[in-house]
Amino acid sequence: MTTLKQLVRGQGLGAIIGVVVMLAVFSLVDFSGWWTKQTISNVVQFTAILGFVAMGQALVILAKEIDLSVGSVYGLTGVAFITLEPTLGVPGSLIAALCIAALVGFLQGIAVVRGQLPSMIVTLGGLFTARGIIYVWTGGSIHNFSEAARDHPLTRLLGGDLFGIEAAIFWLIIVTVILNFVLWYTPFGNWLLATGGDRDSAESRGVRTDRAKITAFILCSLLAGFAGILTLCDQPQTHVTLGEFMELDAIAAAVIGGCLLTGGRGSLIGAILGALIVVSFRYELIALGAPSSWFISFVGAVLIVAVIFNQKLARWVGHSV
Amino acid sequence: MTTIHPLIQVKNVDLHFGSFHALKNVSVDFNAGELVGLVGDNGAGKTTLIRVLCGIHTPSSGEVYFDGKLVETFHPKLAIDQGIETIQQSVGLCDNLSIARNFFLGREPVRKFMGVPFLDFAHMRSKSKSVIREFGLRDNVSVDDEVERLSGGERQSVKIGRAVEFKNRVVIMDEPTNHLSVREREHVNELAMQLKENGLLVIYITHDIFQVHKLADRIVIMENGEKIEDAATDAMTADELEEVIRQGGRVVEKREAV
Repeated sequence: MTTLKQLVRGQGLGAIIGVVVMLAVFSLVDFSGWWTKQTISNVVQFTAILGFVAMGQALVILAKEIDLSVGSVYGLTGVAFITLEPTLGVPGSLIAALCIAALVGFLQGIAVVRGQLPSMIVTLGGLFTARGIIYVWTGGSIHNFSEAARDHPLTRLLGGDLFGIEAAIFWLIIVTVILNFVLWYTPFGNWLLATGGDRDSAESRGVRTDRAKITAFILCSLLAGFAGILTLCDQPQTHVTLGEFMELDAIAAAVIGGCLLTGGRGSLIGAILGALIVVSFRYELIALGAPSSWFISFVGAVLIVAVIFNQKLARWVGHSV
Repeated sequence: MTTIHPLIQVKNVDLHFGSFHALKNVSVDFNAGELVGLVGDNGAGKTTLIRVLCGIHTPSSGEVYFDGKLVETFHPKLAIDQGIETIQQSVGLCDNLSIARNFFLGREPVRKFMGVPFLDFAHMRSKSKSVIREFGLRDNVSVDDEVERLSGGERQSVKIGRAVEFKNRVVIMDEPTNHLSVREREHVNELAMQLKENGLLVIYITHDIFQVHKLADRIVIMENGEKIEDAATDAMTADELEEVIRQGGRVVEKREAV
């Protein structure tokens, strides 16, 4: 029972149960269609991409904020990566694109912390502004990598296969391990959790909560931007709708994965499992021939069930949520 | 020739929150090795004054000196670094963190691995465990438990244990015995006296007049953001002290006239 409670305290148990239930239902409903190499490969690939964005969202939610701009930042970073490549080369455009992502996160963090503005409004502004820049930058047209850029070792490292697995999955594992260490085993992680849990108490202990929040926004934008770059290294073609509505999937994934919007409690691995649930639903509904618009309804229903379930679990172990 | 100066000197401090005048020309000295009772009714400005001392609020005007040096930047981190520890009513512990994490919050011991600072959990656990046992936490409470599990008294014990452990120069106690049992209250008061005897400055805020009258060397009384009285405890009885707080500045004026 103690081990079970520890798992629940980590906020990841709800997502684990969700994944098990989902796989059981999919196996019952569509065993032959679901358990194919192609389906699993696609689901895992898209989970890896959404997983990056969901982890970033989880960090911001842990700091008791929210970031609605991640879909647009994902698109903007991807567009910057592709369109700057002819001038800067692949490594240069990658660094420049990530700098743009970090800058967006920094500016939003500053506006939230120094301007004492609600993050929902600031990042909604960020969503529209970044999307507008994408339209202006691309002129609404599609942009591609040159042949040389497609064959560049860095492009292949980020977008091809590594050790027999999709590069995105490989990078997701590395980044997840690093971020988990940062969150649970470094002073910064302690400050971030304290900031989200009780900002006044954290400040009374001398924690620079403003810096913790700004860093969370920067990391969130960087992760969204990196996910955009990974996507485009795999399929190097931009379009103006790149990443549209991804913020909703990312928030849903983080919340399904156990992040409490009250701040301070959540799990990065839970966010990835949440991403797996969101992506799996999309795939399975398409596979079953359901209209694509049903996907949103299903994610909405799963989200509500997950929130209720996670709250009940949290209260069961005595959290005041 | 060395000059003996107060450990903390507050000079003509004003603090405005918009149009609200929270502190009005407050001047008060605090010396090392004394226990000062800071009393007054709700809204008198006691907590606001200590929030200036612990770096949460920056005065609108006036000066604060710590150990003879003018404080130019106000921030909780700087105050903590200088050895000013605050035990407040409702803040200081994050419910979502374990006791060990809370104990060292803002002062985390680290071990570097390839230049990256990692929390030294072994030290955090062993140190916080020995302190919380000393301060009477139940045996079935683990330092890995979230503080949310603790009772009000246990939470205060963690905060006081932390203040003692980090060998501070100033301990500000804001209603430290609220929500405590009689025995726990006595324990906390003994600790406050012990801190004073060890040469620390203890500023003790409370509504319990009789308790503070028993403990303090000096009482500072505040009303409506002003300091209305600053006197040695033996200069007035607990009943007189209560009367001053009830009647406010009028009684002080009468006493001064006499």
